[in-house]
Amino acid sequence: MSWKIWSLKKSPWVFHVNTGACNNCDIEIVDLLTPKFDVERLGIKLVGSPRHADALLVTGGVTRQAAPRLREVYRQTPKPCVVFAIGACACDKGIFTTGYHMVGPVDKIIKEIDPNAIIAYVPGCPPKPEAIISGVVTALSVL
Amino acid sequence: MNQEELNSKLSEIKDKLFAVESGKSRAGSDNRIYLSCESENSYAVNKFLFEDVPLRFVTATGVDSDDCFEVLYHYAYDQTSCVITLKAFIRDREKPSIESIAPFLPAAEWIEREIHDILGIEFNNHPDMRRLILADDWPEGVYPLRKDAKKPADRLDGEPPTRPMVQSQSPARRTVQLSKPVLPVGPFHPLQEEMEFFQLTVDGEIVTDIDMRISYNHRGIEKISESLQFDQVPLLVSRICGICSASHPLAYVQAVEEIADITPPERALYVRTIIAELERIHSHLLWVGLAGHFIGYDTVFMWAWKYREPVLDLLEEITGNRNNYGNLKVGGCREDVGDELQPKMLIELDKIEKKTEMLTKAVLDDPIIHARLKGVGVLSKEDAIQFAVTGPTARGSGVAIDVRRDDPYAAYADLDWNVITQPEGDVFAKAVVRLLEVLEAVKITKQAVKKLPGGPIATEVKEIPPGEGCGHAEAPRGETFHYVRSDGGNRPVRHKVRAPSYVNVPSFKASCIGGHIPDVTITLAAVDPCYSCTERMAVVDRDGSVLHNYDALLKLSREKTARISKELGAPELKMEDL
Repeated sequence: MSWKIWSLKKSPWVFHVNTGACNNCDIEIVDLLTPKFDVERLGIKLVGSPRHADALLVTGGVTRQAAPRLREVYRQTPKPCVVFAIGACACDKGIFTTGYHMVGPVDKIIKEIDPNAIIAYVPGCPPKPEAIISGVVTALSVL
Repeated sequence: MNQEELNSKLSEIKDKLFAVESGKSRAGSDNRIYLSCESENSYAVNKFLFEDVPLRFVTATGVDSDDCFEVLYHYAYDQTSCVITLKAFIRDREKPSIESIAPFLPAAEWIEREIHDILGIEFNNHPDMRRLILADDWPEGVYPLRKDAKKPADRLDGEPPTRPMVQSQSPARRTVQLSKPVLPVGPFHPLQEEMEFFQLTVDGEIVTDIDMRISYNHRGIEKISESLQFDQVPLLVSRICGICSASHPLAYVQAVEEIADITPPERALYVRTIIAELERIHSHLLWVGLAGHFIGYDTVFMWAWKYREPVLDLLEEITGNRNNYGNLKVGGCREDVGDELQPKMLIELDKIEKKTEMLTKAVLDDPIIHARLKGVGVLSKEDAIQFAVTGPTARGSGVAIDVRRDDPYAAYADLDWNVITQPEGDVFAKAVVRLLEVLEAVKITKQAVKKLPGGPIATEVKEIPPGEGCGHAEAPRGETFHYVRSDGGNRPVRHKVRAPSYVNVPSFKASCIGGHIPDVTITLAAVDPCYSCTERMAVVDRDGSVLHNYDALLKLSREKTARISKELGAPELKMEDL
């Protein structure tokens, strides 16, 4: 294991990227910070800039307008980083698959600019907070 | 139609409107009025309806009919629970155009831009016909909601995978804006919620102009809906917005029930009320928490979100999911509120009520919050009517509209509750409205649980006949409006959705301008937009370099709170107090 990956796994700081989600996954992500789940006790912290982040929590199936911004945010995140596709839409566009304004899903957009990106998937509509925590822990433990 | 005929018809409308009894029953299509006119007359008729009757503008719908285009203007007359739809027919399919109504009705500005984007209808004399809903790189001349439209390639030819960060704008606009300091807000912001881009023009500390760009979240739901069966659409529309995932399906099923003339069983109406009110409780608590965060009261943020959790647990127990309940269907509900659950619900609701009362008292008695929020981001009653805002945003400006009372649906007519209004129009008034509405919602839910009648929760629905229906429901943020047209098949041929934020967000033009930069975060958040894009702001100077980032702005907002707190002589918070 390279020291970069080793350090990535300790208290990951995350940046939240909404790419056209319905808000549900986003609320559940914010919910993680509040007293019932409180992931800050595990060192997981939402940060205000992708340049500070170890991981991206991406929600939504990527709309046409959001796709260039998602690529830009990924470009700004220091590597190595983990991209978490949170929710059914982020994993495979979900119920919006046939939408004319959808160009996703997330892994397709990210792999266009970095074929070796580390992408983890947390399905669910929306995934429960427990599922998101479990997804993050599982992904970090296999790195 | 010539002018005389039109005039006589319009005076008939006026008579008819005022003659409708303000009886509060859901009288099927009795309180739905459909009018038709040719596109040349639409300006005059709309002006008459908005200014002389006067009606509240709801939205407009563009429809691609076989031989013509239709623009449907929806109005509401809240006193008699009427929804009036004016259909303007545009016969020229090659170069469709119609007179814009935005010059006298600012609320119509966005929807006309949207119809121009998706159907290619020109609006003559529109003040600002820039692209609204489609992406910057959407190919010209492709109108997605036309029946013959094809999905274009995901990317324009030759576009590089990453693009420069500068917002694409016409060169003319860019030079105008760069002559003054500009404050872009968005499109990404780290804490939560959706993408949205605001551009504030500032003069020192004062905001002099605000411009908005949406589209980041446009998923084309209206088009997807045309490809789904009537019974599948509620699952789609509940995913328009995660927090309004009871209100959107509710408005949709009411529109379809209106077409098919279905009355759901009484128990279903009560279950719908319970779900909708639980949703209101958790949505308003969510807002209170975020508002606290924006002015530097993280304690309120943590409290409110903690008290919100039991509501989500109740919803999970009833419907099987914390959000996206998927509980509504045409003709009734899918999941019942079990009898064994009712005692538990009453206990939990009592707890929620006590905690909310405590929170309300803590917020309303705090001299610092008074000083910080009163007089900030004022939306006057006149502006509220011009921008046709709805929900707590309207009620906080003294406009007493509430679909639950004005056009009762579900079981609201049988229950005892009040519409909360505040006259001031500032952020504080909106906070008061929301907090008191949580208490009202608890009251409604308790009554509904206690009075829950027996019987089935759904009727069988066989066919949806041809026709059209308008359904609206009071979402936590305001009126959700759905228009559905059926041709007798098993899919809607047109399904128009108007979410409350769509009319509430443009009112920033009235409430933010003239305010201070530290007040912008909370003013933008005060309408509880589905994209409260107040994170990740940056002040940019002439050559585009960043002077302040979002954290600095949040800090400005918090410092103002601290300054006020010092001036008022409030004791400093010490560790022992916590």
